[in-house]
Amino acid sequence: MENNALRDRIFADNEHEEIPDSFVCCVCLDLLYKPIVLSCGHICCFWCVYNSMNCLRESQCPVCRHQYYHFPTVCQMLHFLLLKIYTVPYKRREEQTLEEEKKSGFYSPQFDPETCESQAKFGHSGIPSSSSIMNLTSNSCNVGTSECMEQSGSTTHERDEGTVYSNGEPDIVGTPAKRKKLPQEDISLEQKLSVADVTCTMCKQLLFRPVVLNCGHVYCQTCVVNTDEDMLRCQVCQSPHPNRSPKVCLELDHFLEEQFPEEYRQRRDAIELKQIKVKLETPSCSLDKGNKGENTDWWSDPDSKVHIGVGCDFCGMFPIIGDRYRCADCTEKMGFDLCGDCYASRSKLPGRFNQQHTSEHKFKLEQSNIIHNIMLRLATAQLGDTSIDLESVGNLEIASDSPTMFDDGEDNHSDSETTN
Amino acid sequence: MSGIARGRLAEERKSWRKNHPHGFVAKPETLPDGTVNLMVWHCTIPGKTGTDWEGGYFPLTMHFSEDYPSKPPKCKFPQGFFHPNVYPSGTVCLSILNEDSGWRPAITVKQILVGIQDLLDQPNPADPAQTEGYHLFIQDATEYKRRVRQQAKQYPPLV
Repeated sequence: MENNALRDRIFADNEHEEIPDSFVCCVCLDLLYKPIVLSCGHICCFWCVYNSMNCLRESQCPVCRHQYYHFPTVCQMLHFLLLKIYTVPYKRREEQTLEEEKKSGFYSPQFDPETCESQAKFGHSGIPSSSSIMNLTSNSCNVGTSECMEQSGSTTHERDEGTVYSNGEPDIVGTPAKRKKLPQEDISLEQKLSVADVTCTMCKQLLFRPVVLNCGHVYCQTCVVNTDEDMLRCQVCQSPHPNRSPKVCLELDHFLEEQFPEEYRQRRDAIELKQIKVKLETPSCSLDKGNKGENTDWWSDPDSKVHIGVGCDFCGMFPIIGDRYRCADCTEKMGFDLCGDCYASRSKLPGRFNQQHTSEHKFKLEQSNIIHNIMLRLATAQLGDTSIDLESVGNLEIASDSPTMFDDGEDNHSDSETTN
Repeated sequence: MSGIARGRLAEERKSWRKNHPHGFVAKPETLPDGTVNLMVWHCTIPGKTGTDWEGGYFPLTMHFSEDYPSKPPKCKFPQGFFHPNVYPSGTVCLSILNEDSGWRPAITVKQILVGIQDLLDQPNPADPAQTEGYHLFIQDATEYKRRVRQQAKQYPPLV
C-alpha cells in the first residue's frame, strides 16, 4: 500500500515537472538519469545506452547511428549537475530506476558525492537517500572512487564546505550555507549553479566546447591532447578512449553558453586567441591525424571469438571479442569480465554495474561457444542483423559459460597480445 | 532491464497530447475491459493538402514490441492498401522503420507519422512492396492518380 502511495506521488510529480528538452533522454524521453555521453556527443541514460547496445556486434548511437564498440562510463559531472538542477525529478528517476534494478538484479554504478571527482557540490542532503537502501555492502567501491583517490593527490580537491574552487575563481554565485537554508524549489538556476560545477578536468576552467571521453571525464575540446599515437587516453585515469576523437557534446555546450554567458565568452576569446598562435605552428587537423577510427580488425577476423552479450568492465568493449576473463569471485548477477587487453594491463577497477570487485579476486579464461560463433557468422552475414532479445541473450550467456575453463589465464597472455 | 518500452510510450503519449501535427490522430488501443494497451496505437494520417491524397484520413496501426525503442514499431495500413511501398498485408516499407537501415531509437511516433505522410505522395520506386501500386506508378500515371484519389475518398474524415 505504501509503495502504491509512493508511486502515485512519483507519477503525480511527474505531471507538474517541467524538464526542458535539452536534458531529455532520446530513448526513454524522460529526464536523463546517470547520463552517458557517447563519442558522437549525444547523451542517453546509463540503462538506455546499455539496452540499445547490440550484443552481437558494434552498436549505434540511438540518435545518429554513429558506430561504437565500447560501453562508456557514466559522466559523473553531468550526473551531479542534473541532480543539482532538477533535484526533484532526478530523485524520482532514481527511485524508479532502483525499483527496476531490484527487479532485474542488475545494478548501475553508485556515486558518492563526497568522493566524486566532479567539482559539483551537492549543497543539501548529501548522499541520495536510496543509496542507503542498497544492501550491496558499502558505496565505497563505486566506479569513480579509485580514480578519485589517484586524482586527489595531483589536484587540489576540496571536500570541506565547498567554498574553495580549484579553478580559483572567486566570483562564484551563492555560498553553500545560503543554499542550505533555502528550499530547493525556490532557488533559481543561476543561484544553484556555479562555474565550479562545470569545469574541465584538465584546465579547471569553465568547459568550452566540452567533450566526454569513454571513461566519463569531461574536457574542453582543446584540452584533449593526443599524446599516444594510436589511442587517445584520459589524462586523469589513463583509460583509453577507443573511438575516434570525441565530438563536442552540444547539449551541454549550449547549456553552458546560456548559463554562463559572460564566462563562456571569455573562454571563447581566450581559446580563439590561443588557436591562432597554434595554427601557425601545426596544421589544425593534427588532432584528427591518427584517426582511422578504432582498430576494427578483430571484427572482421572470422576466427575471433565473440562473447555474446558480455562486456569488458574496464574498457567497456561490448561484446568482448577475443579473450575474455571472468572473475571467479564476484557474486553479482552481472558478473565481472575483462577483455584480453585489459586483463593483460592489470586494470582491475570496480565494475560498471556496481560489482564489488577487488584486486584479490581471481580470474578464469572463458571460452566462447564455437557453435554460437559459427551461427553468429552465418546469421550476421546472411541476415545482416540478428534480432536477439535480452532474455535470450541471458540464456546464451549461461550456455557459453559452460565450456572448458582454464584454471588460470596467465599462460594465455601471448594469445591476448595478438588480438591487439 | 525491462519496461523501457512502456515508459517510453507513456512519455510519447504525454508529448503527443501536449502538441501534435494538425489532422493527425495517435492513440493507444483501449481494450474491451477499459484498460489501455500502450503497445498498440491506432493512428490516422491525413493526406497532404495539394496532393492526390488530400481528403483522405488513412488509418494506421502501430505495433510496438517489448524491444521498442531499440526496435522500430510495425506500422500497418488496412490490408490491400494501395501504395507502391505498402505490402499486401498493409505493412509500410520505409527506411526509418527498418532496424537495419534507418531506424534510430530517437525517432518519435510523431516523426514516424509525418514520415509516412510524406511517403504517401512521394513513393520510393527503388523499394517496391506491392506489384499493383508499383506497376501503375511506373507505367500508368493517370490510372495511378485515379486510384489514389479513389482511395482518398474511401477514407473520409471521422466526423
